[in-house]
Amino acid sequence: MRGRPNLYTDYNKESAIFSNNTQKSWFFIMVAFSFSLCFTASEYWIYLLTSSFLMSIAAWGLNIVSGFAGQINLAHGFFVGIGTYTSAVLGGIAGANVIGFELDMLIWLPVAGITAAIVGLIIAPITVRLKGLNLGLVTLALVFIGSHLFSNFKSLTGGAGLGRKVARLKLFGIYLENGYQIGDYFLEKNQILYLLSLTLCILCGLGIKNLVRSRAGRAYSAIRDGDIAAEAIGINIFRYKASAFALSSFFGGISGAMFFTVSGGVEPGTFNLLYSIVFVAIVVIGGAGTVLGPLFGAFFYTMFPAIIQLLLHVFEIGEQSLPLNLGQIERILFGLFIISFLIFEPRGLWGIWFRLRNYFKAWPFSY
Amino acid sequence: MSSLKFDNVTLKFGGITALNNVSFEVKPKSLYAIIGPNGAGKTSIFNCISGIYRPTEGDVSFGENNIKDLRPDQVADLGIARTFQNIELFENMTVLDNILIGAHRHLNYGPISSLLYTKKTRKSELAARKIAEEIIDFLEIEQFRYSYILSLPYGVQKRVEIGRALALNPEVLLLDEPAAGMNNEETEDIARFIIDIHEEMGKTIILVDHDMNMVMDIAEEVMVLNFGEKLAEGRPEEIVKDSKVIDAYLGVS
Ligand SMILES: Nc1ncnc2c1ncn2[C@@H]1O[C@H](COP(=O)(O)OP(=O)(O)O)[C@@H](O)[C@H]1O
Ligand SMILES: [Mg+2]
Repeated sequence: MRGRPNLYTDYNKESAIFSNNTQKSWFFIMVAFSFSLCFTASEYWIYLLTSSFLMSIAAWGLNIVSGFAGQINLAHGFFVGIGTYTSAVLGGIAGANVIGFELDMLIWLPVAGITAAIVGLIIAPITVRLKGLNLGLVTLALVFIGSHLFSNFKSLTGGAGLGRKVARLKLFGIYLENGYQIGDYFLEKNQILYLLSLTLCILCGLGIKNLVRSRAGRAYSAIRDGDIAAEAIGINIFRYKASAFALSSFFGGISGAMFFTVSGGVEPGTFNLLYSIVFVAIVVIGGAGTVLGPLFGAFFYTMFPAIIQLLLHVFEIGEQSLPLNLGQIERILFGLFIISFLIFEPRGLWGIWFRLRNYFKAWPFSY
Repeated sequence: MSSLKFDNVTLKFGGITALNNVSFEVKPKSLYAIIGPNGAGKTSIFNCISGIYRPTEGDVSFGENNIKDLRPDQVADLGIARTFQNIELFENMTVLDNILIGAHRHLNYGPISSLLYTKKTRKSELAARKIAEEIIDFLEIEQFRYSYILSLPYGVQKRVEIGRALALNPEVLLLDEPAAGMNNEETEDIARFIIDIHEEMGKTIILVDHDMNMVMDIAEEVMVLNFGEKLAEGRPEEIVKDSKVIDAYLGVS
């Protein structure tokens, strides 16, 4: 029996987080490159990248429930909002009208995710019993209920039109809002946020990869591909759908807590329907049900305005000579992208990347 | 080891009576076949066992448990696994993943351990992988391990579905027309696997099939169903001689 004694270690290696060395090398190269950008990129790009990292986290969350478990969720932005306000209350400054406890990020960040997850679990008895259009409608209703609550709980959110300041950047008891001196090097606030967001993004990405290579991820995909068969195999689909909603909301909550800490303040009107739809768009464009898709989608979405600006600049088209304003053009193009991806490449940007990669792998001299 | 019992089960869909007062008992470790023309109610029997349909009247029990009101996942957890007449594999996943999903109930960690991939997760996953590999070996589908379901020929898909059910390590295996749409050679392969699963793995098997020849060759006991009613039950050699059966079923085919 050739290789029998090694069988165990072989499977171990196969189910490892990076199934081959190429993947592993690329991962470390990209991580190192991303960290180095913190010290080389301009303030504008640092901001865009930070936003992309955090959008990725939220998109990964939605991808758990929609991409893996196949359940429509139009209310992801609502869960992002729950995380945002949890962190704002726990970590923010109390004002004339709003409460705030100025706690450490070590508390407000995880609790933001957990609170969002709990809210996801609270509505689970309804959501796990529905699917398709009905689930879409219920989650839609949730967005409106959420908007209403956010606008009216003034002591928590500041109320519609006014908003409030969000969580303070205090880590291990140190306020980092004015930067931090490490030896000779001074880290600006935006660099600190960049590093924190990047680290979170890496951890969340690895978490997603873990999910798909183990029991829960497989159970989610089974529910997506055939809920009757999944049940007949012993998967408690109610419990797994509920956990998919909870995990998804956890990611959304963490993302929201960090995202608005980067921008500084938040107003309840932010968490409207469009805001939730953006996450659906990101997942669709990036590639639903894939590990890297939401990352690609989030970067694409965040960088999109910058790319358009760049194109205008390269082709020397003045903004004034355009028939529509820039924001309108961005939205129209983005809409077209969503439609094209749905029709031509359901696996999104990930699908394109996957085919390019295989094309170059099949290149005669690549081995 | 437990017996699976139907006690005067009636199943109605509006005006249609899919099963009418059907009773039978499948003893542990037996190979029991249910035959009957299309629409006779064979699949409905499986659906009543696995909790997908709820009998209108009567009881379904497995050993001491009344399983009539259980959910499908609870029935599966008792050790009753099944395949479907129209293959119900997870199409966007590989053969290996499909079979690993079958081993779901042998893994005892939840979503958070999945996310963190703890030591326990790793150990559990390795154990599941071993179960899956043994089944892949047994069903001789090694070369398809990493293939996506949609890319596989029909016969292989049927085999993978049996593999997924075996991964539950069930006590009872329900096979719904495992040889439907297969040529003679493939049918013989399937028959061989069924005999091995029955004899070597010692599993109770309930086999639903159209292919009379295969059923008569391998089954220990046969029930004939017609228009939702039990027409006859007995050893294969008795069944082929039964005049009611010959009239209702064998005569026409
Ligand atoms: N979900 C259902 N709704 C309505 N009628 C059904 C349903 N499932 C089965 N039936 C009916 O019950 C009868 C038995 O069907 P089935 O058990 O699939 O037969 P078989 O597997 O022997 O071909 C058929 O008349 C069929 O139309
Ligand atoms: Mg049938």
